[in-house]
Amino acid sequence: MITEQGRVLELLLSGQFVCTTIDEDAFRYLQSSANRELVEQQLNVLNRHLSSAADGEVYFCSYQSIGDAERKILATQFNDISSHLLPLIEWLLLVQEAMGTDIPLTQGTLIRLQELQTVVEDTPAYAEQLGKISRYAMFGSKANELDSQLKLIFKRLVELGYLVRPNMDKQIYCATGKIDYLFDVLKFIDETENLSLAERADDSISQSSLI
Amino acid sequence: MNINLNKSGISLLNALSNHSELIMQAYFSGSVNESEYSPNIIQSLIDLKVLWRPDSDVQLRLRPSLRTLLGESLQDESNRQIDANIGNLLATLTTQAEHYKEALAHQKYHESQAYLADLTEHVYTLTETLATNVRLLWSRISNEFGYVSSVDSKIRENELAQSQVTDMLNQLSMFHFDVLSQLAGSNRELRHLLVITLQSAFATSAQELSLVQSKLLELLGRFREFKGRTRLLKGFMLHMEQKPDFIPVNYSAQTQVPNLFNRADRIIKGAAPDVHNMEQEFELTSLVDNLRSVNRWWQTNANRAVANPLVIEEESSVSLEEDLLKDAVENYFCEVIDSGKNTRALDYYTKHNLDFDQEVWIYQVLGAFQGLPDSERQYFDIDLEGIPHQTYTGNFIIQDIELGLR
Repeated sequence: MITEQGRVLELLLSGQFVCTTIDEDAFRYLQSSANRELVEQQLNVLNRHLSSAADGEVYFCSYQSIGDAERKILATQFNDISSHLLPLIEWLLLVQEAMGTDIPLTQGTLIRLQELQTVVEDTPAYAEQLGKISRYAMFGSKANELDSQLKLIFKRLVELGYLVRPNMDKQIYCATGKIDYLFDVLKFIDETENLSLAERADDSISQSSLI
Repeated sequence: MNINLNKSGISLLNALSNHSELIMQAYFSGSVNESEYSPNIIQSLIDLKVLWRPDSDVQLRLRPSLRTLLGESLQDESNRQIDANIGNLLATLTTQAEHYKEALAHQKYHESQAYLADLTEHVYTLTETLATNVRLLWSRISNEFGYVSSVDSKIRENELAQSQVTDMLNQLSMFHFDVLSQLAGSNRELRHLLVITLQSAFATSAQELSLVQSKLLELLGRFREFKGRTRLLKGFMLHMEQKPDFIPVNYSAQTQVPNLFNRADRIIKGAAPDVHNMEQEFELTSLVDNLRSVNRWWQTNANRAVANPLVIEEESSVSLEEDLLKDAVENYFCEVIDSGKNTRALDYYTKHNLDFDQEVWIYQVLGAFQGLPDSERQYFDIDLEGIPHQTYTGNFIIQDIELGLR
């Protein structure tokens, strides 16, 4: 019989982001510092250690010491994430605006595909934006119909672990902790490259109000 | 009881119920569309001080007091008015307590009872006001200011609620229980109202308010976080528009890789054996040989389909007996057809030595005749023999049946 510790290790070693949406039990297990230490010890054997992001809302597994082989893997990973950044951000903004809540997606937010589709279909600007997003290499859709574009985007996001689909019979998706991780990445890039993104957004809002 | 007041109160309430649709429309839309209702009704509602016209060229509106009443009774979420004039109420309480004590001192018991009733009413109003205000704040927190959509407006609503909490806390500081207990003196009723009732209301609402305050701060933090995230997203989009070739520095190439980008590759990967590879055939078959069925605890918990034991039971013989009777009746019909003669049911019965009950036999013959399809029934004719009941007319007792061909 596999123990809870074994299950958590399995999750971490298969490259999952452990958060409450993906596996609540595993997440709760990792919240106790004693358990974390146990898992850490086991991971150290494999040159890995436990990391967390988004204020401890997400746990994942990192390398303990980085040699050439590890660096290569990290480089490809980084290329992936930096090429995914723009399509994902455009998608996040689209969902946020189309759902009309003005609240960015975060772990546990439910997205009803049907509702989103209705709004996007009724608004040509959103439909155009969706078409643009679906043609990014990340999604690589060649379809012209909105329905298949949307389905493909959601399918791909589930594959990449940004969303989960709790019930296979229903078109309801739930955002995972990886979305929060993405925000952390964005924040990090903003800070280290001195992009001052927030100020830029504010400026554009005040300028448009002047016009 | 003032008879006039009573009468006009009842007529006011009647007017409210008679024109409830108009009033609710005014509550939701803010004003009354005068063209839809007759001027008489409108005028009577104005006279009853239900509606009023704030300015000569403005539409009629509901009186604020009525609006408050509806908002509170309906627990309307958009109701965000908080009435916190506690100082005023406390001053009234002090005055009335003085009246009551004076009346007692002069032994005017009737008067004192009236003052006490008034005082009780006021104390309960005060506790009710406190409870309502706290409930209002909580209801707004629990749906996260759902009545406004944008995060900015939620932040403003949150700030409004915080200032209201501060106001209420300031008002609560006006409770001086030492003064109140001095005022109550040794009088039991006064002590109960002014000290015990008020103190418990005070304690509950002070406690609740501090909870409300911390919750509001937490919510504010969350809203700010949302705003920060949205700004980050929009800022990045703008940045990419200005510099489409922007690529972040490859952090994984740095000597100190930031923790965020240090993500280990998966060790456990999905795998499948290649059954077509001849070289691995031996290993694969030995693996298959060594496979054991492992009992996992969750599998044992699952309900296995259990086959029901097969039980062989003897068919009950009831239907067989019925069939005997039916067969006999059928034979009887056949004999009538074969012989072409009218035959009495009982004659047939004795001739063939049937061992059913006579009554059952006759009943079955009758039933079989009635049960025949119309097309077959018309070949037979049936004659009922019997006698009318001796006492009760209209009852006919069948004693025998004669069946023949038509």
